[in-house]
Amino acid sequence: MSENAPVIYAQDLVKEFGPVRALDNLNLNIAPGEVHGYLGPNGAGKSTTMRVLLGLLRPDSGVIQLFGRDPWKDAVALHRRLAYVPGDVELWPNLTGGEVIDMFLRLRANEGETNFSTKRRDDLIERFDLDPRKKTRTYSKGNRQKVALISALAADVDLLLLDEPTAGLDPLMEVVFQEVIKEAKAQGKSVLLSSHILAQVEALSDRISIIRAGHIVESGTLSELRHMTRTTIEVETEKSAQQLQGLSFVHDFHAEGERTVFEVDGDHIREVMDSLAGLGIRSIVAHPPTLEQLLMRHYGDDLSGRGVSSSTTKKVS
Amino acid sequence: MTTTTVTQARHAPSPASGKQSSLAGTWVLLRFMLRRDRIRTTVWVLSLGVLGAYMAQAPKAYADNEAELHDMATLFADPVTRMMTGPGFGMDDPSFERMFSAAYVLMTYLVIALFSIFTVVRHTRVEEETDREELVRANVVGRHARLTATLTLGVVANVIIAAIIFAGAAAEYSAEGSALVAVGSLAVGLFFLAITAVTVQLSEASRGASAMAGGVLALAYVIRMGGDAAEQGGNALSWFSPLAWTQQTAPYVEDRWWPLLLPFGCTVVFIWLGYFLSTKRDVGASLLHARLGRAEAKPSLGTPLGLASHGLLGGLRGWGIGLILSGLLFGSFAQTMIDAADDLPDDFAQLFAGDDMMLGYLAYMGVFMAVLVAAAAVSGITQLRIEESRGRAEYALSAPVGRSYWFGSHLTVLVVGVLLILGLTGLGMGIGAVASLDEGGGEYFGQLFLATFLQGSTVLAVIGIVAALFGWLPKAAGGVGWVIVGYGGIVAAFGGLLELPDWAYDLNIFGHLAQYPVDDISWAPILWLSLIGVVGITIGLLGFNRREVNRV
Repeated sequence: MSENAPVIYAQDLVKEFGPVRALDNLNLNIAPGEVHGYLGPNGAGKSTTMRVLLGLLRPDSGVIQLFGRDPWKDAVALHRRLAYVPGDVELWPNLTGGEVIDMFLRLRANEGETNFSTKRRDDLIERFDLDPRKKTRTYSKGNRQKVALISALAADVDLLLLDEPTAGLDPLMEVVFQEVIKEAKAQGKSVLLSSHILAQVEALSDRISIIRAGHIVESGTLSELRHMTRTTIEVETEKSAQQLQGLSFVHDFHAEGERTVFEVDGDHIREVMDSLAGLGIRSIVAHPPTLEQLLMRHYGDDLSGRGVSSSTTKKVS
Repeated sequence: MTTTTVTQARHAPSPASGKQSSLAGTWVLLRFMLRRDRIRTTVWVLSLGVLGAYMAQAPKAYADNEAELHDMATLFADPVTRMMTGPGFGMDDPSFERMFSAAYVLMTYLVIALFSIFTVVRHTRVEEETDREELVRANVVGRHARLTATLTLGVVANVIIAAIIFAGAAAEYSAEGSALVAVGSLAVGLFFLAITAVTVQLSEASRGASAMAGGVLALAYVIRMGGDAAEQGGNALSWFSPLAWTQQTAPYVEDRWWPLLLPFGCTVVFIWLGYFLSTKRDVGASLLHARLGRAEAKPSLGTPLGLASHGLLGGLRGWGIGLILSGLLFGSFAQTMIDAADDLPDDFAQLFAGDDMMLGYLAYMGVFMAVLVAAAAVSGITQLRIEESRGRAEYALSAPVGRSYWFGSHLTVLVVGVLLILGLTGLGMGIGAVASLDEGGGEYFGQLFLATFLQGSTVLAVIGIVAALFGWLPKAAGGVGWVIVGYGGIVAAFGGLLELPDWAYDLNIFGHLAQYPVDDISWAPILWLSLIGVVGITIGLLGFNRREVNRV
């Protein structure tokens, strides 16, 4: 396998559950060493993609390859090179967190090697502030997620499949999570990071794919996607900001006394900031765009899309 | 509805209304339970009532005339049959109504007890386990509301069942005896409602709560086996089992009501205990607080076999302890059997498969044990299905563990586990028999062990069938498994009484082995059954390797 062959390669992938088309001609390409943000609303097919990548579900048609191999046929060999964090982590209730972590590290160790790096494990346990002696049934969702994250990150693998890994983590732990993912990237690991919150993957991802109703609607680097994003800016200025209203890249302009709220296209932030600077800024707040805003704007109000009702798509998430 | 809850909420903080507020919301919860269970409970209640009422007709279907009635009475006067069906009052002067109460009532009582256990666990511990109770209790719902609503539902259902049974029995037979049979069913139902109200406080897991209550039922049955087999009308042991109390009323013979004071009295005590214990714990918790465990795993856990052992050993251990103790106990009835056989008329011995009544009894108990061991095996595979549907299998398989390896490891642990249980149960039965026999026990020891162990081929066949289904039709596996085991259990316990056609007996997978040591070992069925097991497991492994994991 050459250095630049994709780690994950999916071409026209289709997966149907009865009448529901969970994956609809999905295309996905992830290069070695890349952190790839996988964005989509609930029920868009993110988890189904993960499970096809793990070789637990068999695609109905299309090509899917991990490290150039078929995940359905070569599941075991491929699983040696990857670690997975499920979206809704269920653990064995009468094992402790520490036991689950060790169990996975041992299962993943290469044949003949019974040892794994306890140093890396202990370090992660400390950074994520987990008590490994508690039975997993007493853990909250966030703590169960930490267990899965630690066992994935402590493993010596090339690819991390993370399905909404921060959904239950508090903001402090999210900072730790961002650090460890950056470290993993520095070590050359590839990461597929799914989420329904744009801001979460923005900070980490080299490239982002947006999935909607089982189909990738946008894919590219963050700057390539800038044209899609709009930042909401709330600003209080000494002088009126009225002059911004007429600009082509400023939208939804509202002014109320000194307070002004508007949206600006992602690739024109600089011009707006320059104009604002001269107005005497008292306070400024900028919100990143949410995925929902983005999808609504570009694909109309039919979020679930293509006649598949949101209740049925939800089931296949 | 809204107005009542609002009023109660307003009153709740005042200490004077404390009693009432702990029951706030009971009525709403009860209506909610009825709505959730409108089909389930109706089906249970009607089928139990009809089953009980139908049993009243059964003796007439079995015996057409006086002579047949007397033959039948001889059967029910014999200790092995008494062991399964009850103390056998009035068999010296048999009538259809007496036959009904001696032969068919206990069967109904057993199922009623199970209904009570399932009902209470389903509406209390299952709700807590799934965190739904938290959602409910965040509203204006008192601490005792759920238990009260559940018990109300259970009592009402049991009263209706008893009424149908009474109507069915009294249509044919004397009113007082019929009333005793019906009120006895109510006593059993309420007793197990009360027992389960206690066990759901003790265990955090609904499975644990059901297992404990089921254990009490099994123990009650086993204790009365000892008492009722020992002499007609039962001996002192028969006064230590709630199932036996309801039969000590001797319906249609002595018609005594006072033994029913025992189950009803215990019901009151256990319900009180249930309420009391529920105030001593947090919602969702058990009385025992979870302790801290190991920070690091033992090396054995890091293999598919280790994972499988972890998942299955707990359940197997529970089944194992219960079965080995039962084996010891059944074995220790050996001398009782010989004594009882000596008291019977000569022509009676012809009713049995062999000359030696004691060996016949123990061979029969070996089949009974095999049914229970098969139940342990089916329960193990059901657990595997839970692993899958809860998403844990998916997570475990994300490690470099092959599908066949994962399923194969679980099957290995299961097969080794159940064969070990079966072997130890055989040993227990042998030891029990040798210890109880006055003379000549030693020669039977090996035979008894072998008799039980050969049943392993049947258990293997059951595992094979269920494993094959798990590989190809996972949703059907548990259901089919329980039907096979349940049918085997019913035919083993009550087979002769059911008057089934031959093919129906052939369908019973537990009915194919020769009754060693009474008869010689016949190897053909042993080989066939083992072959079904091996082929089934292979097909299951192939299927699991091909099918998708946890497909929605």
